[in-house]
Amino acid sequence: MAAGECVFLVGGSGCGKTTTLKMVNRLVEPTTGRVRVDGRDTCDLEPHALRRGIGYVFQQVGLFPHLSVARNVAITLSLLGAPQPEQDARADELLMLVGLPPAEYRDRMPHQLSGGQQQRVGIARALAARPGLMLLDEPFGALDPVTRDRLQQSFQDIRRELGFTSIFVSHDMVEALLLADRIAVMDGGRIIQVGTPRELLVHPDGPAVSALMETPRRHTAVVDALLAEAGA
Amino acid sequence: MSGPWAEQLALLPGYLVAHLQLTLAALLLGTAVSVPLGVWVTRRPSLEGPVLAVAGVVQTVPSLALLAIMVPLLGALAVVLQGAVGVELRSIGFLPALVALTLYSMLPILRNTVTGIAGVDPALREAAAGVGMTGRQQLARVELPLALPVIVAGLRTATVWVVGTATLSTPVGATSLGNYIFSGLQTRNQAAVLVGCVAAAGLALLLDAAIRGLEIGLAQRRRGVAAAALAVLGLLVAVTVGATVADRLGGGETPVRIGSKTFTEQYILAEVLAETVRREAGRPSEPVPSLGSTVLFDALRSDQIDLYIDYSGTIWATVMKRETLPDDRDAVLAEVGTWLRENHGIELVAALGFENTYALGMRRAQAEQLGIRRIGDLARVASGLEIGADYEFFARPEWTALADTYGLAFGKQRSMDSALMYQAVASGEVDVISAFSTDGRIAGYDLQLLEDDRGVIPPYDAIVLAAPALVRERPDVIEALRPLAGSIDAEAMQRMNFAVDDGGASPESVGRAFVEDHQAP
Repeated sequence: MAAGECVFLVGGSGCGKTTTLKMVNRLVEPTTGRVRVDGRDTCDLEPHALRRGIGYVFQQVGLFPHLSVARNVAITLSLLGAPQPEQDARADELLMLVGLPPAEYRDRMPHQLSGGQQQRVGIARALAARPGLMLLDEPFGALDPVTRDRLQQSFQDIRRELGFTSIFVSHDMVEALLLADRIAVMDGGRIIQVGTPRELLVHPDGPAVSALMETPRRHTAVVDALLAEAGA
Repeated sequence: MSGPWAEQLALLPGYLVAHLQLTLAALLLGTAVSVPLGVWVTRRPSLEGPVLAVAGVVQTVPSLALLAIMVPLLGALAVVLQGAVGVELRSIGFLPALVALTLYSMLPILRNTVTGIAGVDPALREAAAGVGMTGRQQLARVELPLALPVIVAGLRTATVWVVGTATLSTPVGATSLGNYIFSGLQTRNQAAVLVGCVAAAGLALLLDAAIRGLEIGLAQRRRGVAAAALAVLGLLVAVTVGATVADRLGGGETPVRIGSKTFTEQYILAEVLAETVRREAGRPSEPVPSLGSTVLFDALRSDQIDLYIDYSGTIWATVMKRETLPDDRDAVLAEVGTWLRENHGIELVAALGFENTYALGMRRAQAEQLGIRRIGDLARVASGLEIGADYEFFARPEWTALADTYGLAFGKQRSMDSALMYQAVASGEVDVISAFSTDGRIAGYDLQLLEDDRGVIPPYDAIVLAAPALVRERPDVIEALRPLAGSIDAEAMQRMNFAVDDGGASPESVGRAFVEDHQAP
């Protein structure tokens, strides 16, 4: 992967997307082969040290219920031993970035937030230690479509601003087409095709990839037809 | 406020603080052991079953038995430690009670620690690992804080159990609110029993409410509630620690510790000894009431108490394990005295002058109707009669000797509390009891004691025994006690017992009055 790139892992349930993602930060240990981040074998580092340099966002969010929003955001900094004022300043900065005004949100407890707000905090938490790499495991999968759309927009903006590299697991093909620089299609634990969204749409390699591309195509066709009718 | 209540309430601060010391120390120790053990077990799932099973088995041991068994266990350990590293260990008193109560407190805390940690949402474990926590940080920053309300709930269960069970630590020599209950039941002092029960229940409720507050405060993250609960708990701990420190600092001279068994006569005589030591030797003294009979002898032998009253026949049969019967009282006294001095360094200071012997007793009317005056007359009718006796009696060599010599086979045998025995025979619940010859209730209930016509039961002279260290280090105390020799006859003892058992007087006041009268002329 190139620096700053956003690669999506897509494919049917059980195809190995999440496992592949978790091998990067060693939440799952690879049985064979090697994972390199910034040219270094991940097995050369202690897992916790490795993970402090990689942002991780997942569908269940996993905000610590006994810590305030600001303490959740700054948790990795606190693990790294950053002084309290630095943690506070960084938490405010990130809350601002993810669209939650710090004055209003920093002292709230997680259960006082909506699902979308919780995942915004989850993203802020993953970004706290300025990781060069972000891992996102269906981060918006449990949100309603409107909220999902807003968060996708926000994510895109943040990515442009910060320039981190990201690996994104999703089974939402529209999301992949909107956000990805490249998409890797997986099946049965293997990557069967990698390419830009356009390449995959135009030159799907085999029936499995074609099938995946079929849904967004059909949806688009239906929406286009409706719009055309309305325009006529 | 009337006399008996004021007298009992005056004891409350001392007993309450002792009860708190025992309870809080046991809970602290129990928590300090159980929480790490619980955490360790969650890291090794294969051990979870076995560890919880062991804690569960400890819980099923009746609490009184668990307390009692600590005395010989610690006694054995004390011998080992003394030999190996020269450390002295007290096998009666605070320590055995502390160990037993700690064990007793462990199961709920352990179980709730395991449950609490297992109940942490897997998503939070994943998040904790994902943000880069080490295993230890995941435990300290996520798992323990989230399991805390559940762990505190376990602590609360343990607290209520331990406050209640601590009342049973009196027989192993630890002072607690149980002192009220044990001595109150024995001397039929309802005021004492009531004060003890109400105080123990009140303490349990207070601690329960305080910990409940802590639990709610933690679970709902309400700082105010948690802080108020902690303040109450902190106050109790401060009082306890303060009293302990004051005890240590203001101690001055170590008091002479006077043990007693669990019946009225012993409470009175312990007070007679205590008062004599105070007045005649000018030394402070402290009663250690309601100990088990074999615990007492071991405690004296190992200098854990300084004085107590035993009976020559008990030493003869149960300690010296003699089976033959000597010719007379004086011969037994002389031989017991020599044996104790030579084998244990214990001094037989004085024989008080009366015997408290086991004697079979019946309602006078029934005895006359059946034509029974001597034990020998019982054999022919025994199969149709029921005998009631204190807990020890049927296991004692005297009973075996009686049954063998006279061929006694009763229709039914029942063990009961010695305090209830007299009432049981008077009301016809049983026909014969193993009475104590000095008990005031023999006259009170008009009972007939049966003559031991074949001389099976050894003489039971009441004797003052002094521990080896007391003999060596405080000869003035021994000398002050010598004049008690021959000072109490059987009739005087019966009168004193009756004054407590039926007259509502306290053993302390009766004992003190005796010393005053005895001294006056």
